[in-house]
Amino acid sequence: MSVTQLPNAHYASLITAKNADLVGCEFDWLNSLRVKAAEGFSETGFPSPREEEWRYTNISPIEKSQFNLPTKAGAIDTRFLQNVLLDDCHHLVFVDGFYQPTLSSVIDLTEGVVVSAISEGVSEHEDLLKSLLDSVVETPALGFINFNTALFTDGAVISIEENTQIEKPIQIAFISSKEGALSIINCRNLVLAKAGSKATLIETYHGAEDSCYLSNIVTEVVVEPNANLSHNRLQAESLKAYHIGGVYSRLDNNAIFNQYNYNFGSVLSRSEVHAELGEASDCTLDGLYIAEDRQHMDNHTRVNHAQPHAVSNEFYKGIMNDRSKGVFQGRIIVALDAQKTDAKMNNRNLLLSDRAEADTKPQLEIYADDVKCAHGVTVGQLDDSAIFYLRTRGADEEMAKNMLTFAFANEMVERVKFKPLRIKILEELLKRFPQQGMKIEWL
Amino acid sequence: MLKIENLHVSVEGKEILTGIDLEINKGEVHAIMGPNGSGKSTLSYILAGREGYEITQGRVLFNGKDLFEMSVEKRAWAGVFLAFQYPVEVPGVSNIYFLKAALNGIRKFNGLSELDAMDFISSVKGKMKELDMDEKFLYRAVNEGFSGGEKKRNEVLQMSVLEPTLCVLDETDSGLDIDALQVVAEGINRLRSPERSFVLITHYQRLLDYIKPDFVHVLAHGKVVKSGGPELALELEEQGYAWVEDKLAS
Ligand SMILES: Nc1ncnc2c1ncn2[C@@H]1O[C@H](COP(=O)(O)OP(=O)(O)O)[C@@H](O)[C@H]1O
Ligand SMILES: [Mg+2]
Repeated sequence: MSVTQLPNAHYASLITAKNADLVGCEFDWLNSLRVKAAEGFSETGFPSPREEEWRYTNISPIEKSQFNLPTKAGAIDTRFLQNVLLDDCHHLVFVDGFYQPTLSSVIDLTEGVVVSAISEGVSEHEDLLKSLLDSVVETPALGFINFNTALFTDGAVISIEENTQIEKPIQIAFISSKEGALSIINCRNLVLAKAGSKATLIETYHGAEDSCYLSNIVTEVVVEPNANLSHNRLQAESLKAYHIGGVYSRLDNNAIFNQYNYNFGSVLSRSEVHAELGEASDCTLDGLYIAEDRQHMDNHTRVNHAQPHAVSNEFYKGIMNDRSKGVFQGRIIVALDAQKTDAKMNNRNLLLSDRAEADTKPQLEIYADDVKCAHGVTVGQLDDSAIFYLRTRGADEEMAKNMLTFAFANEMVERVKFKPLRIKILEELLKRFPQQGMKIEWL
Repeated sequence: MLKIENLHVSVEGKEILTGIDLEINKGEVHAIMGPNGSGKSTLSYILAGREGYEITQGRVLFNGKDLFEMSVEKRAWAGVFLAFQYPVEVPGVSNIYFLKAALNGIRKFNGLSELDAMDFISSVKGKMKELDMDEKFLYRAVNEGFSGGEKKRNEVLQMSVLEPTLCVLDETDSGLDIDALQVVAEGINRLRSPERSFVLITHYQRLLDYIKPDFVHVLAHGKVVKSGGPELALELEEQGYAWVEDKLAS
């Protein structure tokens, strides 16, 4: 399946040079995981467009850029930070890949709940780390995952105690500072929602304006029986940055997992959302990607119905303007035993310019016979008759187009229940498609 | 207010309007009647500025200005309003936002300030009441999933909010039951004023029982073949459109 390719010499050299003083280097089990991952990387390197799963996305600009590993966090000014942090949340802040305790705040947690950074809790939570790390990502792992495992500098470690509900969402903010230009953020997040627990996580990504860097983030998520986890991603990186972000999840019996994926930033980004579904689990994957200029946004999803009676609902929308390109590849696998599966996948694309491109590829692999699977994809343009109608009422052409585009996107934003996040996403949307006189409370 | 002179319009080489002359003064109500396919909707779209038509001859003056020189939205700002025969569904755009954006666009053009949101909403709610529309329509997407009758009421609501000076209504009566027809007709009558003119396009004369026109024109094969007073509508009702066809043939 994978096509062998020599790893880029620069990135291979980073792995061999840097292994010694990384977070958790006092643990043999972790060192050996890192060594194994490094070996994996030296065999495959980063993926090439010759691989089926990467045929629409060529990451050679990342290879050519020769990003380096950061050694410490740069400075972040308070205005920038204020804009990043959401109200009414616990905050874990990482700058250039390193946890910043002074910028973070986690208060009043219930007994037994862990919301921490790997670098802070590495000894205390060794067992938790050990049980989660590399437990959900598929093997053989993608080059980017191996690269992350071999080199991650930090990340969030979260464990929600059984039958416990965390009231406030937990925001994990990744920021690249000005000094972080030309370097790589390798962070690893490990999340465990124990049986019957309920929580909301929000990963957000930001960078200094016009700064060029690479974020390579891996999040592993385990949702135990009857737990309910909402996981949100807001990718608002600098427009010159590269972003490779993966969410790999495993749902146990009757677990509920809702993943909302919002992509605005980066010149080239790839989001990878995978879910392996246990019996009668319920998985929602929603996404929105909005690309302009020459942005390239690739969204990969993989829903593996491994057990019977699980439900999955997937809905991704893309808006591509100028010379941008949006990719959606969604794979649904229904195993032989996964009878009574109910799986839906939908991808709708809106092209705002003749030179924009949408590639969409749903893939179904169904081995069971008693299942419901539905999928649909569309690639279209704004409805001329609706534009005309709006103009006859006094909206100028640009306004009419903005209204319709905003409405197309807003269907996905409405799904975000947590208001501070919804408003943040609306702000990104309104920056691109201004609505004169729009009141956020009308939305 | 509106002067149509020798208007010829083609679509894909086929002539649909074959020389229309019509003059509408301030405060007048003109009914245009005609069989299906005679070009009534085409005329209304031409006035609103829809693309895809070739104007081969003639001109239209609106308050002395060449209408064809004005963009679609400029016409709206200047006071032209078309109530569509088939109102368009606009998914995701709420009626309230749509109305406010539209009204503010028009006010801005006319040098007026933006309306206060509260005043605006209460004024719209009052108008909805008059049209027997539930307030929940404010927050629903424009025309999406509305019944035929609800869409027509929504057109009249927009018209009463935007207060245009030239109202072109394309078969606003079709698809309405008698009660709804009465409500809609009253809504239109309330807007009648010495400053405002109406073009009522209709297939049936029953709308004219409620809204009394000053003039009636019969359109056939893209041309006004007969003009007269309100009695012409009754004559048409009795004789049917075959009578027009016969007259044309002879
Ligand atoms: N876009 C178009 N393309 C081709 N023919 C059209 C188009 N629009 C209208 N027509 C034709 O023009 C004629 C007049 O149509 P229309 O104006 O809708 O009539 P009415 O509203 O009086 O029923 C009809 O024969 C119709 O088929
Ligand atoms: Mg018609």
